[in-house]
Amino acid sequence: MSDIFEFNGAKGSGWSQPEPMKEDAINTVPTSLRRSNLPRWPRASEPELVRHYTLLSQRNFGIDTGFYPLGSCTMKHNPRINERVVQLPGIDRIHPLQPEHQIQGLLSIYYEMQEMLAICAGMDEVTLQPVAGAQGEFTAIRCIQEYHRRNGDVQRDKVIVPDSAHGTNPASAAMCGYEIVEIPSGEDGRLDLDALRAAVGDDTAAMMITNPSTLGIFEPEIAEAAEIVHAAGGQMYYDGANFNAILGKTDPGRMGFDAVHYNLHKTFSQPHGGGGPGSGPIGVKAHLADFLPSPIADREEAADGGATGDGYRYFWRTPTDSIGKVQQWHGNAGAVVRAWAYYRRYGRELELMSEHAVLNANYLRHQIMNPTQEQLNSIHSMPVDGAPADFVKHEFTLSMMPLKETTGVTGKDIAKRLLDYGYMSPTLYFPMIVPECLMIEPTETESREVLDKFASDFLTILSEDPEVVQSAPHDTDVRRVDEVLAARSLVLRKQFDD
Amino acid sequence: MDQLPNLGREQEMLDSMGLKSIDDLFSDIPEGVRRVDRLPLREPQSEEEIWADAQHLLGANIDLDSRPSFLSAGLARNFVPTMVPMLATRGEFLTSYTPYQPEVSQGMLQAMWEFQTMVSELVGLPVSNVSMYDASTAAAEAITCAVRVKGRKATQKGVVYVSQFVPPHRLSVIENYTQGVGIELRTLEHDSNGRVNLEAASSAEGACAVYVEQPNAFGELDEGITRLKEIIGENTALIVGVDAVSLGIVEAPGNYGADIVVGEGQPFGIGPTAGGPIYGLFACKKDYLRLMPGRIVGKTLDEDGKDAFTLTLSTREQHIRRHRATSNICSNETLIALMGAMHMALLGPEGLERLALRVAATTEIAKQAICGINGVELVDPDTPNFREFAVKLPSDASDAVTHMDAAGVLGGFPMGEWWDSMSSCLLIGCDERTTKSDIDALVSALSAWVEEVSA
Repeated sequence: MSDIFEFNGAKGSGWSQPEPMKEDAINTVPTSLRRSNLPRWPRASEPELVRHYTLLSQRNFGIDTGFYPLGSCTMKHNPRINERVVQLPGIDRIHPLQPEHQIQGLLSIYYEMQEMLAICAGMDEVTLQPVAGAQGEFTAIRCIQEYHRRNGDVQRDKVIVPDSAHGTNPASAAMCGYEIVEIPSGEDGRLDLDALRAAVGDDTAAMMITNPSTLGIFEPEIAEAAEIVHAAGGQMYYDGANFNAILGKTDPGRMGFDAVHYNLHKTFSQPHGGGGPGSGPIGVKAHLADFLPSPIADREEAADGGATGDGYRYFWRTPTDSIGKVQQWHGNAGAVVRAWAYYRRYGRELELMSEHAVLNANYLRHQIMNPTQEQLNSIHSMPVDGAPADFVKHEFTLSMMPLKETTGVTGKDIAKRLLDYGYMSPTLYFPMIVPECLMIEPTETESREVLDKFASDFLTILSEDPEVVQSAPHDTDVRRVDEVLAARSLVLRKQFDD
Repeated sequence: MDQLPNLGREQEMLDSMGLKSIDDLFSDIPEGVRRVDRLPLREPQSEEEIWADAQHLLGANIDLDSRPSFLSAGLARNFVPTMVPMLATRGEFLTSYTPYQPEVSQGMLQAMWEFQTMVSELVGLPVSNVSMYDASTAAAEAITCAVRVKGRKATQKGVVYVSQFVPPHRLSVIENYTQGVGIELRTLEHDSNGRVNLEAASSAEGACAVYVEQPNAFGELDEGITRLKEIIGENTALIVGVDAVSLGIVEAPGNYGADIVVGEGQPFGIGPTAGGPIYGLFACKKDYLRLMPGRIVGKTLDEDGKDAFTLTLSTREQHIRRHRATSNICSNETLIALMGAMHMALLGPEGLERLALRVAATTEIAKQAICGINGVELVDPDTPNFREFAVKLPSDASDAVTHMDAAGVLGGFPMGEWWDSMSSCLLIGCDERTTKSDIDALVSALSAWVEEVSA
C-alpha cells in the first residue's frame, strides 16, 4: 500500500486550529534561530488519515485478531475497561507536579498498587516508577549497588545470570557497570547449584534469575540457590517476567529474593501496543527500601476523612538514600491505572489467573505431545520437550530438532507456517540452550477450543509437505521478508525527490 | 469472572490429562516455599463497580482543564485530535507485541517507519529510532551512545559536559545511567543571562559529548547554541534536547551541527497523563546508527519482491547481544509514538508552524502581562522564551502557588523544588490552549498574593 507521504494536499491543509493569539509571534524567535525549511510532513485531511491508519491496522496481528502464544510475553486479553478508565480527565489531564491535594485519587491508586504488589511478591516496599521490565531490572540493580556501597562492599563487581536468562538481565547489570558471570544450566535445563557454588564469592553483587525459568519450569532448588548467594554476601534478584505462573501460589519473598520487578504489561494486562508502553515496578525487602527511586506514594490518617473519603491523606515521600530518578516523573501512571482496573477485577482471587494460565499451558502441551495414532502416522517427526518435566508452569518449550534432522524443516519454518493458519508464532530460538526452540505461552484467556484447534493445526503442520512449510508464509500480507537485505541496504526513512 | 473462558471447565481439562486437581499442576513447587493462605487482598469487583470506583477516585483529582493552568515544566497541556486515541486503540495496534514477525506486522512497522521519517524531518537528522521511554532516558542514552562512538578519539576520556540548567530530575536520570560505566559528568556553565557561556564551552573540546537544551529549563532560546558545534569540534558529539513543538519555528538542531537530538514527544499524541506513558525522541547522524539504543524499522522486500518493512540492526539489542548490547531497552513506547505520528500527520508542515506560533504567542502575551505586576521580574529579562518563562517573586514561590491555588489558578511550578537558590522563582508555562482570560486570572491571582506579601 502507499505510504503516508503520498498525501500531499494544498499548503496549509489538514487539521484546523485557531489563529495564534498574536500576529507577530514569530518575532519572539531571534532571526538567526528561525527555522529555514518546514519538515516535509504529509499534507492530509482527516478522512485520508483515518483510512490510512485503519488500513495499516488491518495489516497488523494482535491478540484481538488471533491466538498469540508468544512465550515469555504473556499475551493475555486486554480488558477494555482499562482503556475507558485512562480516558478520564482525572488521569489523562493530570500533571505529575500538581500539588498533592489536587491528585489525591491518583496517589491513592498508587498507594493501593504498591501495597498489592508488595503482598503478591512477598516484598516490603514497591516503587511504580520504572516504565519497563528492563528498566525495573536496572533500577533494582542500582539499589543493590548502592546497598553494597553503603556497606563498604565496593569489591562486589559481578552479577551472576544463568545462561537461560532473558537478555535484558545481563544488559541491565552491564549498564550499572557490572561484569557478568554466566553460569551454565544443568543437563535437565534446571539451575545447576554446583555451577552456582563455583561462581559465587566476595565479588558477587547479585544473582538475577526468573522462576519459573524461561523453560517454563519451576526451579525446585531456588531456596538453596538463595542461601548460596546470601552466604557469599550477594543479593537475589527476581525477574518477574514469568510472574503470571505463580501469583498466589508462592512468591519471590518466600523463595529468598531481595528484589523483584513486575511487568504490568504482562501479568496485569497493560496492552503491549506493538512494543510498548510497559510498566516495570520493583519491590524490595526492607534492607533495600531506603534506596528506591523517589518519590513513592505514602499516606497518613486524615481527620477530615481525606479527599477520597477513605480516611487518609496521601503524599509523595522520598526514600532516605534514594538513587533518585530513572524516569523523569512518576513512571507510566496510565499503565498503573490500567493495571489497577485489572487487579480490581480479581482482587484476592488473583491466583485464579495463575491457575488458569498453568492449566492452559499444561493442557496445550498435553494436546500437542499426545497426538492420536492417526495423526502420528502422518507426522514426520514429533518435537521433544525443551527440558524434561512432569508439569510446566505458564509456558513450555519444544525443540524441533528431530523434524529438522528428518526433513530439514526448522523451527523458524514452523513459526512462519503458523502465520498461515492465523496464529502468531511462538517465541523463536529462545532460550538459546534449547536447539530449534519454540516457546509457547497460551495464557489464561484462551478457551479450550482455541487450544484444541491450535494443537491440531500444529500437528498438521508437522505432517505437511516440507517444501510447503519451508516456503511459508503463503497467505500473509507479505511473504517471507528479507531481513538480510534490510540490514545491508539500510532504508530507514522516506527519501524525497526534491 | 469474565476474563477466564475455561472457568468451570477445569475438571474436564484435568481429566483429559489424567489429573485430579489443579493443585497437581503446582506440586513441583517445594512445600517450603509454597503459599498456603489466600492473598490478603480485597473482594473481586465487577466492571460496573470498577468503573464507579475509577470515577470516584480519579474524579477526586483536579484536572488541568478545569481551571487556568500554567504548570508545564517539560510537559504540554496539549489538545490531542480526536482521531488519535480512536485509531491508535484499534485492537490490531493496541494488542500487538513487538513486530518480531514482520509478515503479519506490516501495519505497525510501516507506521513506525513513517514516524521515523517525520521525526528525522522535524529535527534535521537522518536517523530516528521508534522511541525511548521519555526525554530524560533519551538524553541519558544519547550520552552513553555518544561516549561509545566518540570514546576512542576523545582526548578527555569519558568526559561529558552537561548544561548547568538541565532540570534536576533529568540530571538524576542521566547520573543513574552513566555512574557505573566510566563516564564523568562535568557542568557546562551558563552566563548570568541564561545563555551558554561559549568561552567556557571551549573547554569541552575533546570531550566525548556536550548536552544542552534548546529551549532550556527556563524556556529560554539561546542563539549561542548554534555555534557550539564549531567550538567543541568534530570529535565531540553535540547532543541537543528540544521542545518538539518549538521546531515549527525554531531551527532544527541538525541544521546547526547537532549529532544527536532528543526530546519529549508527548506534545504530539498524548495528554500529560500524570507523566506517563509518554515517549522520548531519539535521532542521530549516521555515524551513531550502529551504536544507538532502541528499535529501528527498515524498508526491504519480501521474497516475491514486494515492498516490506522489518525491524533491523537488531544485533545491537539485548535479546541478541546480551551484556554487550547498546542498551537494555526492550519494551519502548511504540503505541504512544504511533499516536505521535498520527498527530504530526494531521498537523502537516504548516499546522506544526501554526501550533508553534500559537505557543509562542501565548508565552509572549503572558510574559508581558506578568511583567506588568509590580514586584515581579523576569529572571532573565533579555532572553526570548518559548512555552515557559521564569519570574522572580518578592517572596517564596511555593507560597504564591498555594495562594493562587486557593483562587482557582494553577499558577506554575515553584522552582525551589528544583534548585534551593531559586525558592522565590516561579516557572510559568503556556501552551496553545492558554486563553486571554486564563492570563487575566493568573495576573489577578498573582497580583493579589504580591500585594498581600508586600503589605
